[in-house]
Amino acid sequence: MTYFESILKVLVVGLVLGAGLPAVFAGGLVAYSNGAGGTEADGSVHAPNPVLKYFGIALFVFVGWVILTAVLWITRATIVHHFGFDPFPFMPKK
Amino acid sequence: MIILVLLIFTALAFDFTNGFHDTGNAMATSIATGALKPKTAVLLAGVLNLVGAFLSVEVAVTVTTSVLKVQDSKTGALIPNIDASMGLTIIFAGLIGGILWNLMTWLFGIPSSSSHALFGGLIGAGLAALGAAGVNWSGVTQKVLIPAVAAPLIACLVAGCGTWLVYRITRNVRAKRREEGFRWGQIATASLVALSHGTNDAQKTMGVIALALITTGHLTGDVKENGLPFWIIFSCAVAIGLGTYIGGWRVIRTLGKGLVEIQSPQGFAAEASSAAIILSSSAAGMALSTTHVATGSILGSGVGKPGAEVRWAVAGRMAIAWLITLPAAGLMGALSYWLSHGVKSLTGSDLAGDGLIFVILCALSFFIWWRAQQQKVDSSNVNADWDDSTNSVVPAEVRVPVKETKDKDTAAV
Repeated sequence: MTYFESILKVLVVGLVLGAGLPAVFAGGLVAYSNGAGGTEADGSVHAPNPVLKYFGIALFVFVGWVILTAVLWITRATIVHHFGFDPFPFMPKK
Repeated sequence: MIILVLLIFTALAFDFTNGFHDTGNAMATSIATGALKPKTAVLLAGVLNLVGAFLSVEVAVTVTTSVLKVQDSKTGALIPNIDASMGLTIIFAGLIGGILWNLMTWLFGIPSSSSHALFGGLIGAGLAALGAAGVNWSGVTQKVLIPAVAAPLIACLVAGCGTWLVYRITRNVRAKRREEGFRWGQIATASLVALSHGTNDAQKTMGVIALALITTGHLTGDVKENGLPFWIIFSCAVAIGLGTYIGGWRVIRTLGKGLVEIQSPQGFAAEASSAAIILSSSAAGMALSTTHVATGSILGSGVGKPGAEVRWAVAGRMAIAWLITLPAAGLMGALSYWLSHGVKSLTGSDLAGDGLIFVILCALSFFIWWRAQQQKVDSSNVNADWDDSTNSVVPAEVRVPVKETKDKDTAAV
């Protein structure tokens, strides 16, 4: 039974990180693209909107931060082993 | 000693085939959408695999214990009723089964799982040597069979959702900007997959080499506690990195062009799904096959995009290859074991038996490589149009001239 639990866990995490994060990235792209302004395909011109543009960039940064944290979390044991430095000093040891 | 050196060489050769067989898992979509130039993509993947191999967390003693009952699961030491010579031959034969199956599937451009090939080879050799008692059946079910069914399904579902969401959210963004934005996302996510491949798969070879060294008594003590000698980690990292850099263009072509005609948002969603699943499953202690996840994700990206076409004939052929990977590699492993064992009992020399199967491995590998050279798929034609009438991995332009000169050769491919 525990096996199906871990499959379920992977599925949920997979959906959140594997489909959710791309959606956030896509949201960032929409905000950035609309914020940057420019000429549409039909010829209409949009004024740039810096707030929207920076919001888009913030979303990109957020996605990058999540990825970096996740990788550090997974390789935590190795990092501690080789460099003696714990990237998550406040979290309990695994 | 000579046998041990041959065996380590064979293990590194397996690692190498593992690398080039699986380059496509990470880079096929980026190559197909043009986000990265083919050569750049394989270089990036190679370097990241190299780095990933050093980053790996789990010490790899468990790889062999999960399918075979030849080691004490706590310390990694050999169990008493197996002597060193028999242990070495089992590992040797298992590796040969794995390498040969990897090369054959590569020739046909089928992305089959390298870990299954290795497990299959080891199980086959174990069965031949020790009978059913030598195989850890519950381990095989839990660590090989269940994940094999679950991985592609989970991946397909996640990538399908991701693709649908991404297309839905960006439907009003101008096509050019969308394409550009997702290319960057694609490069980032593909890199993540390459990195996680290094952390996962290089481990398996390290585990096999460690087992061989334990068998001969060159490596003692608690491997789980003290870690592996640096040269093992280093040589495995280099082997898988080099293999990845050489690039299994045939497999890349099937994944990037054969399954689905991929656009960059799809490639991005597929790689994001692969990376998330591979990394989270290894964190949850479940070893999923990178190949199964990547293939499931790419299929999912075809299912999730409205109006996209999935070549189910190609997918079906792959599914069949997955089903026969374990038994086929197992059969080759068992045959190698019997051959080596037979020669050993005839000549009384360990070296004669293990040496013979090594020579056979080299000969067959060279033959398969030579066959592949006849109809070469490389960085120049990896993105050529897919031939729907044959679904062959070899582009039509390459196949035609060969057909004129060598008619009988085409039947097999």
